Amino acid sequence: MKLPGKLRTRALLFSFLGILTAAYLGAAETASQAVKIKIDTILASNQNGEFDSRLKPLEKQLKLLKYKSYRLLKEESQNVPSQGNGSFQIPGGRTLIVSPQDFRDQQIALKVRLQGSEKPLLDTTLKLQNKGNFILGGPPHEGGVLVLAIWATVQ
Amino acid sequence: MKSCDEIRELVGAWGDGELSQAEAEAVRLHVEGCSACAEERRQLDKLNVSIKSVLASQQPIAFEPFWRGLERRISEKRSWPAGWLDRLRMPLGRPNLAWGIPALIGLALVLYSLGVWKEQTPRNNFAAVESIDAYGRNVALLRENETRTTVIWLYQNQEGDNETSGETSDQSPAF
Amino acid sequence: MELSDWELVQKCQLGEIGAFQELVSRYQQKVYLVILGLLRNPDDAMEVAQETFFRAYRKIKSFEGGSSFYTWLYRIAVNIAIDAQRRQKRNLLDFRDNMDEVFEEQQEVAKDPFADVHEKELREKLLSAINDLTPEHKAVIVLRTLEGLSYKDIGDILGCSEGTVMSRLHYARKKLQEKLRAFL
Repeated sequence: MKLPGKLRTRALLFSFLGILTAAYLGAAETASQAVKIKIDTILASNQNGEFDSRLKPLEKQLKLLKYKSYRLLKEESQNVPSQGNGSFQIPGGRTLIVSPQDFRDQQIALKVRLQGSEKPLLDTTLKLQNKGNFILGGPPHEGGVLVLAIWATVQ
Repeated sequence: MKSCDEIRELVGAWGDGELSQAEAEAVRLHVEGCSACAEERRQLDKLNVSIKSVLASQQPIAFEPFWRGLERRISEKRSWPAGWLDRLRMPLGRPNLAWGIPALIGLALVLYSLGVWKEQTPRNNFAAVESIDAYGRNVALLRENETRTTVIWLYQNQEGDNETSGETSDQSPAF
Repeated sequence: MELSDWELVQKCQLGEIGAFQELVSRYQQKVYLVILGLLRNPDDAMEVAQETFFRAYRKIKSFEGGSSFYTWLYRIAVNIAIDAQRRQKRNLLDFRDNMDEVFEEQQEVAKDPFADVHEKELREKLLSAINDLTPEHKAVIVLRTLEGLSYKDIGDILGCSEGTVMSRLHYARKKLQEKLRAFL
């Protein structure tokens, strides 16, 4: 079906305006943005039955891990630029390095490395919902295990 | 005379029987006289055996149901995505929407870029884990539906995770 | 007397579905296992295997016997499987459903460090390491190690030179060795 002349002009005009708008808004979303990375370092153990009240927002998630007690050891936030590295000291001589790669469709692409004192322990690449979190756990510490709750929020 | 580095690049092809006679002979002589390259050959052989045993051990499928499914496709004479293509062919509507069509196109593009009609992702906290490398340690992934939590769990290895301060945990599960 | 692949193909080209069924019965397992090696998921592998033979049936009249039937068939299979891998957005890592499974697995690993567990771990690590390869590197590993195909046949299937097959195999094996150093 061939559109008549006027209709064709209007269709082209609106499409062009729409494309410009879409391109502008798309560029705004994917332009390099800093990401606020927050790490809650938690000690999970079966030594007593205490749940640190500061961890209330994480209670449901932490209960998945089936430990008896949870204590917040440290809370730290950094604004990490896109492609930059945010480095967080973790008990036991470990370091967590978080590098935001991309932000698209409300998903933050991250590279995460858990570094031991001598060699890397874990590398992972993942996509996280903006303002979402995930849990990384397992390294032993003081009779329990370390659990890291890692949040990412685009600034 | 080839160096060990050059030989190591050829050891795989030599084991596969894919080198020319002259090259194969050169590699064979070197490997017989070099313990490092001989070890490389042994490791490669072990790897090949392991790969083959892992890939070949996967469950085969029964012929009859496979053939029945295939026969059905053949008799329907269409490839599996063709049905989708048919459904996508929508008849064109009235052509006389002088303002309507361009307005709709423009509005659609703006709305799409604002994400208004994109499927609104529910408050989905799941992380899409694309790759994991635990450097030889055991690692587990958990995705829990109720809280929409993704957990990456690094096991302590059997010798004790002493890459940092030698600390171990006597808590179950055996950290 | 058993007919050759080419004789069966010629019968298919004349419309004999029975001849095609015979070809399918000869190659269905091989094609499926190759695809499973590339895709890991049995349901996906089944779908791609059926699609492979379906496309082969539709294109059978264009097969002129320039290559062997099986390399022609594997070419179709590998191309569909590589496309499927590239389109796959979903996470191919295996997820557990609850932490009990995670901890039970750790208990098993801790209790029995000997051969059975080692074999199981090796198998899982190896499958995971193979899966981490790019589709092209995975394809050369599967075709060479599982099927024992020559570099020439692999090159015909993948549309590349024997030299490329050799260097991809070398790279893929190195990568696997690095990841499995502790186990081999």
